[in-house]
Amino acid sequence: MRFFRTVLMMLALVAVLAAPAQAQGKSATVSWPQEPDTLSPLYTSMTFGGYTYQLYLAGAWAFDNALSPIPVLVSEMPNLDNGGINADGTVFTLMLKEGLTWSDGDALDSADFLFTYDMIMADGNAVGSRSPYDRMVSVEAPDATTVVITFSEPYAPWLSLFSTVLPEHVLRPIYDADGSLDTSDFNRNPTVSSGPYVFETWEVGSFMRFQANPSYVLGQPIIDTLVVTFVPDEVAYVAGLLNGDSDLGTFVAFSDVPALEEAGLKVEVIPSGYNEGWYLNTSAERAHPAMTDVRVRQAVAMSFDRDAFNTDLNYGATFTPHSFWENTPYANPNLSPYAFDQTAAGALLDEAGWVDSNSDGTRDKDGVELVLRFATNTRGIRVDLQAIAQQQLAAVGIGTELVNYPSDQFFAGYAEGGPVSTGDYDIAELSTAPAAFPDPDTSRFLCSEIPSDENPVGNNSTYYCDPELDALLIEQSVTTDFEARIALFHDIDAKLLDAAIWIGIWHDADVWITGTNLVNAKLNGVNPFWDVQNWDVAG
Amino acid sequence: MARYIIRRLLQSIPLLFIISFVLFALMQATGDPLATMGGRQPTRAADRERLSRQLGLDQPITTQYLYWLIGNDWVVIDPETGRTGPRRGVLRGDFGTSYVSRQPVLEMIGGRIPDTLLLTGTAEVLILAVSLAVGIFSAVRKYSLFDQLFTAISFVLYSVPVFIMAYSLIYLLSIGLRRAGLPYFPTSGIFDPAIGRTFEQVVWHMVLPVLTLSLISIAGYSRYIRSTMLEVINSDYIRTARSKGITERRTLFVHAFKNAALPLITLVGLDLPFLLGGAVVTETIFAWPGMGYLFINSLTRSDYPVLMGILMLIAVGVVLAQLLVDVLYTVLDPRIRYS
Amino acid sequence: MSASNRPVRLLGNEEGYAKGSNRALKRFLKHRGAVVGAILLGFMVVYVIFGSLLFDEAYANFNNTKLRLLPPSADHIMGTDNIGRDIFARTVYGGQISLMIGLLAMVVSVGIGTLVGVVTGYFGGWIDVVLMRLTEAMLSIPTLLFLLLISNIFGGRVPQIQFIGRTFSGSVVVIIIIIGLTSWMGLARIVRSLVLSLKETEFIIAARALGAPDYHIILSHILPNIVAPLVVSATLGVGNAILAESYISFLGVGVGAPTATWGNILEGARKFFEQAPWLWVAPGLLILLTVMGINFLGDGLRDALDPRSDKAV
Repeated sequence: MRFFRTVLMMLALVAVLAAPAQAQGKSATVSWPQEPDTLSPLYTSMTFGGYTYQLYLAGAWAFDNALSPIPVLVSEMPNLDNGGINADGTVFTLMLKEGLTWSDGDALDSADFLFTYDMIMADGNAVGSRSPYDRMVSVEAPDATTVVITFSEPYAPWLSLFSTVLPEHVLRPIYDADGSLDTSDFNRNPTVSSGPYVFETWEVGSFMRFQANPSYVLGQPIIDTLVVTFVPDEVAYVAGLLNGDSDLGTFVAFSDVPALEEAGLKVEVIPSGYNEGWYLNTSAERAHPAMTDVRVRQAVAMSFDRDAFNTDLNYGATFTPHSFWENTPYANPNLSPYAFDQTAAGALLDEAGWVDSNSDGTRDKDGVELVLRFATNTRGIRVDLQAIAQQQLAAVGIGTELVNYPSDQFFAGYAEGGPVSTGDYDIAELSTAPAAFPDPDTSRFLCSEIPSDENPVGNNSTYYCDPELDALLIEQSVTTDFEARIALFHDIDAKLLDAAIWIGIWHDADVWITGTNLVNAKLNGVNPFWDVQNWDVAG
Repeated sequence: MARYIIRRLLQSIPLLFIISFVLFALMQATGDPLATMGGRQPTRAADRERLSRQLGLDQPITTQYLYWLIGNDWVVIDPETGRTGPRRGVLRGDFGTSYVSRQPVLEMIGGRIPDTLLLTGTAEVLILAVSLAVGIFSAVRKYSLFDQLFTAISFVLYSVPVFIMAYSLIYLLSIGLRRAGLPYFPTSGIFDPAIGRTFEQVVWHMVLPVLTLSLISIAGYSRYIRSTMLEVINSDYIRTARSKGITERRTLFVHAFKNAALPLITLVGLDLPFLLGGAVVTETIFAWPGMGYLFINSLTRSDYPVLMGILMLIAVGVVLAQLLVDVLYTVLDPRIRYS
Repeated sequence: MSASNRPVRLLGNEEGYAKGSNRALKRFLKHRGAVVGAILLGFMVVYVIFGSLLFDEAYANFNNTKLRLLPPSADHIMGTDNIGRDIFARTVYGGQISLMIGLLAMVVSVGIGTLVGVVTGYFGGWIDVVLMRLTEAMLSIPTLLFLLLISNIFGGRVPQIQFIGRTFSGSVVVIIIIIGLTSWMGLARIVRSLVLSLKETEFIIAARALGAPDYHIILSHILPNIVAPLVVSATLGVGNAILAESYISFLGVGVGAPTATWGNILEGARKFFEQAPWLWVAPGLLILLTVMGINFLGDGLRDALDPRSDKAV
């Protein structure tokens, strides 16, 4: 008995002692549901790595909450008038602001830009991606505030250039000594900063802390200390937002939105270029024979009630997109998604020759049953969607075999036998965006990107090839005139919709939650911290 | 004794090699670490090729295993520049770097071990202390109300899955207390970053995960101790001790307990793998930055170097700990002798 | 488990065997907990079998998103889940799978454990050394980690199976095998030490001297004497297997959709545990009651079958 009394007393003591203390200066907490893998822009492959390094590294320009570019390190956005872009769109001249410095006082100039390019292309660095720097012919620095970038062909997605710039004076010695930046301590403990905050510490597994950078080019941040915490468990993550432990969060499921709104938190659904969709496999060799017929694909699109799904399971927080580029100027505004019409779907299937000749509930033709392989990963909402879709497609006589892969297998490459890459599916559900959003360029539907043994790195997992569509896609990637490009995309959009190879399920915008303590936080899906220097805390 | 120890150690070496190769082969059969390197975007083709070459993933599996074991600084991996590989191999203490964070694996794991041990070690101590107390008390006061109550409760607790226990505790002690306006226990992390890693913070954050881990095992262990104590109490030598007039307390704690301790040590020995890496579910739910949590994260990213590092370190730890337990046996029970 | 050095009484003749089992039965029935356990398990079996007479499988899988997350009511006595499926029906069909996984995984692990234990204990020699090292190797790896690793490997590649009139995901077979493959080690060790001491008894020595073939000795003399720990281990093994399945399903690498098991119903309930507690209370309670029943039963069996145990409960 005495033992238990002692234990109880100890617990009481703990309860008394653990009253939280107050922190000094203005402070705000951001929580991510995943811990970034690294703070280096060269090596991170996580969304949250991509968000977090923006705190301490500035780029040539950023995007505001309407996704329009605003100059950060450059004095003005390059265009045809100020000589920033040449007549045929192959040479870009960046004019940097005068007197830029890193947080340690060293000058931030064109040498740093050149160094960044060198490091991305250096063979000793196993960087995550070299895009688009591997398309550049050269990068030159004629003087301290000018950077000249030359491409061999007009490069339309040029806004993705130099979103970060590395400090040459710190990293060049490391690269020269080790031959690589892969293992440099700077990746996890950056010592200098050009962004709104200076890195202070990273308690692995728990949090990172940043302090305001007085020499930030757009002004010293109002909030002195920014803490970024990592909470992987969904339930604990939402609980942290609800009880005010965290002031800003994202990536919560749509199903958590009602509880957060009820608690008075600000919920914003911000586009990041992603749309959840069904990729329909059109490969004659690898997909079900029915899939090569566009009528079957259209029937699939019409058999599943996407609007009801979004109302019920996504709590109406999002909608059914028709376009891969939904919610951008590049989507064709005159088009709408396939309507939910099981009768029409049945008629199309009848027309295509798929009828239920043996009365087993599933249509068939020439002795082959219409059973489609529907693959996705193990995310809860996708698993639920599969169950619902299976039932609805069965009502039209389309059988489905549901398969769920762990993420690393689902997204594995062609050589590793990944189901999407190798076309081992009929319907695959995943969320995708154009590679350099907000730029619309994508290679996913090009004939040249069809994967095969000779071309294992192909990106076109629907195995679809239409020469007309192809021509349009290639043309847009070299069209720098905004209006002309939009016109091209409206054509592309119409063709894709008719081909029914990508069926939009929900517009996968990010849900951002702002706590009551955080004031004036304007967010976007690419640079959430574009305006962080103007954020403030209440009380 | 020394010869026995040396022999056991030597026998475990081929064991560890086999484990390492089997695990390595198994992992290569699973996902593709390059699949998730593009972040939300799928990895670009050109990048995939380059990364595969730079990370050595384009080699056949036996070569990859060899490099993992003895390093690749004796091999030229880049014919253009004549550069040799950077790795020195596991046998020389280099477990490589994580594919995901590019951090040295040993550093990553080393950073997690103290926090894991903090959680599981505290839980284990609590489990042993409370189980012994409850088990002995139950045995001595057989059939009393205490005994019946605790037996009933332990049967229930013993059967509860860990995550149900965790969620029930969160529901009661975090959400419940918060709703009642009382100070409530936090549900994630080791400490509140705004305050810092103070002793009170860590203790406060440890309460729920430690309780989750302990309650179930206390239920199981206390019953086992109870039954072992009962066996011992009713045995001849205890009756002899009592009849010799030795006090009840001395009888219990010196004679009975020492004999009950032996099987207890077996149990603790079997728990050793758990101590280092087994509290996966609890760590995940409470975002406790330990080894189990690192394992899950690395598993979904197919981060082989980290996975191999964790598994091999646990295996080595267990082999050594088992040996320690066996040696302890001889100390505690003079009847046991190893040739 | 307890390293006792007392000799084992051999039950070598028919009469003695019958009397022994009568005694065992009486002890079993005296053990209150064991009776409760048997009743609980009986209830579970009734639940999953007769439940399936109330609803068919199509009903258990029938979803209607307009009826989602309904609390318990007259139409749905346990409420509905995230996509409108009746939870009662899902726990019935899920229970079938969970119990089946528990039983079959136990069969696998008892089979392997007994085989390894008997072979190493009886034959000894290099096979003993090799298999014992293998056992130690398996014991060195935390079970859950190993389970996660293997489930990860085989996810998504197994086709569907038809069995007893039901269609379910092939991952069920995978899970059964891997749970079985990761839980035989304890039993193997116990069996081995029992066989080692049995081998030295006069009865066996005499049988061997008389030239009886090994398989005969193993089947007729050794196996009947290790039945007691086998039965206890098998019983408890079912409970462990059910728990193991619930853990890996909870972590997302268990049985695949749409096949329900108690474990993966719980995984789906994770997000709603505060706002829709009926989602996890029902399957959680079912797992709890089943495992409790098994533990009670196992305890009773251990007392009843182990003649060396002189503790009355």
